Amino acid sequence: MQSLSFLDFAVIAAYLIGTLGLGLYIGSKIKTGADYFLAGRKLPWWAIGMSLVATDIGAVDIVGTGGAAHQHGLAVANFEWIGCVPAMIIAAFVFIPFFWRSGVTTIPEYMERRFNVAVRSALAVCWIVFMACNLGIMLLASAKMMHVHLGMSVDACIYLTAFLVGIYTISGGLAAVVYTDMIQCVIMIGGCLLVLVLGIIDLGGIEQFHAAIEKQEQVQREKELAQNQESGQADTQVSHTALILPADADTPFPWTGIFFGLALILSPAYWIGNQAIVQRSLGARSEFDAKAAYVWGALLKNLIPVVVAVPGLIAFVKFPELTDGDQAFPELISHLLPAGLKGLFLAAFLAALMSSIDSYLNSASTIVTHDFYKRFYRRDASDESLLKIGRTVTFLLVLWAIGFSFFLMTRSEGIYTIFQTLMAFFQGPAFAILLTGLLWKRATGIAAFIGFIVGVCFSIALFTLNQEPVYTVLGMDPLFQISEPFLYFSIWAFVVSFSLIVIISFLTKPEPAEKTEGLVFSLQPKRTPA
Amino acid sequence: MTPLHHIGNFIRALVVPIPLWCVRALFLGTLIAVFIWVLRLPRENTTPENATHWYQNLKIWACLALAIQIVIYSIF
Repeated sequence: MQSLSFLDFAVIAAYLIGTLGLGLYIGSKIKTGADYFLAGRKLPWWAIGMSLVATDIGAVDIVGTGGAAHQHGLAVANFEWIGCVPAMIIAAFVFIPFFWRSGVTTIPEYMERRFNVAVRSALAVCWIVFMACNLGIMLLASAKMMHVHLGMSVDACIYLTAFLVGIYTISGGLAAVVYTDMIQCVIMIGGCLLVLVLGIIDLGGIEQFHAAIEKQEQVQREKELAQNQESGQADTQVSHTALILPADADTPFPWTGIFFGLALILSPAYWIGNQAIVQRSLGARSEFDAKAAYVWGALLKNLIPVVVAVPGLIAFVKFPELTDGDQAFPELISHLLPAGLKGLFLAAFLAALMSSIDSYLNSASTIVTHDFYKRFYRRDASDESLLKIGRTVTFLLVLWAIGFSFFLMTRSEGIYTIFQTLMAFFQGPAFAILLTGLLWKRATGIAAFIGFIVGVCFSIALFTLNQEPVYTVLGMDPLFQISEPFLYFSIWAFVVSFSLIVIISFLTKPEPAEKTEGLVFSLQPKRTPA
Repeated sequence: MTPLHHIGNFIRALVVPIPLWCVRALFLGTLIAVFIWVLRLPRENTTPENATHWYQNLKIWACLALAIQIVIYSIF
């Protein structure tokens, strides 16, 4: 990227000072643990909805989605469309109001009420390991990108990000996270929209853009045909504007993975069971606000691929020679944006980065405080002491994230891949216990615990067996025939967990009716004031 | 070859020949099913108690989000 002007730095500085100021102002009003972890249950739907979207899209996602669109086409948009919208709508009317009414602070807490403390602890451990590792990964990946864009050293970028996000998250808790996310959502969408509009204008308009994609696809098809004729392989080229790709296409997004893995399992597991996502709707000021936030988020989600993935297609036309898709966005910014606007996009990039890290910090701190400290150490802890513990844990998590990101810098890229696959290890089993617990009275605690543990072990076994050194030593073929089969891990882990829960539940004594009362969903209308 | 390979190959052999128009119908059918489910939700579940305006009914906005999806998956 070309160097930044004074105007660019001024725009970035204004954004950072504004975010920090707002976070600290909100922090000055926090008095209790309930204020800190659930924003005093006063959050409005419009702020939560925008925060949901901002949390879901990190800086790595902006660059990665644009890059994937450049390499594999529009199919990457499935992650934001069918991989979000239907699950968010169902969550809005079925699951979220149920959680809000139950008054829990964390999803593992619901698991203890419904099943037992073993299920709560197992789920909490998985989430805390995932979030803690992910904090380091996000910090490092974002610092590497900031280093390219801002010209600062990677170390300095890690310290700067951790300091800025840490200050307002430690101070303001969930309320600061949600309200700063809201601003970050506007800046993020605005910045990406700018790249989209200028890119289409640069290509001569929408019709010319479409024609240019077809022309570029034709060029690539001819090139691939010539290569395939030499090597004797069949033509596997798929359209760059297709959302639905064949099951045997050479892409990480075949329709089977997208439909069965993403739309039916990973997406509902994420929107219903991810503590970082659900926590903000638990802080809604009413049940209606909790529902409306998810619907508003679903509406916004329709827009996200347009501003994030379509610029990748613009780069596909403008820079077809790029071999690293992750360079698509930086190249577009260098070529399209004038001084000042370049700063606005980088502010959007920082916004995306900060909105994800602050959410994971706050949610990880909530899980440690409620599911470990309060549950096992101080059951009678006062609200004020929980606030102190929450802030201390958030501070320690910031230190951990810094340390872990430096540790990752010294490791090979393989470590990255393992941690990025962490979520796929336990999301399927977590969704299985959530679904059976919420919808099936007969599901028992022992069945849920065994189903969850076996499901997690099964997905780890699938991952291990699919590693080249392992299957080569064992003299086997790889289990999956696509390069990044994490969607398939989730499907199989879910199927194994779900089946075990059903079978073991029938073999074990049912939970007493008084234990499950009010904890299993029924579609009885319930009016609540706005 | 482990039993897992045999199961995988069997499922792959089942899904690979499915034509893409059938898959598109599956995607659209899922979205339409959710759309109809939202339309059939009781009004009490989608509006606040003291609602006075049409736009306070979440059903409208949920249906709009799903309708956009249906259009997108019909075209691309």
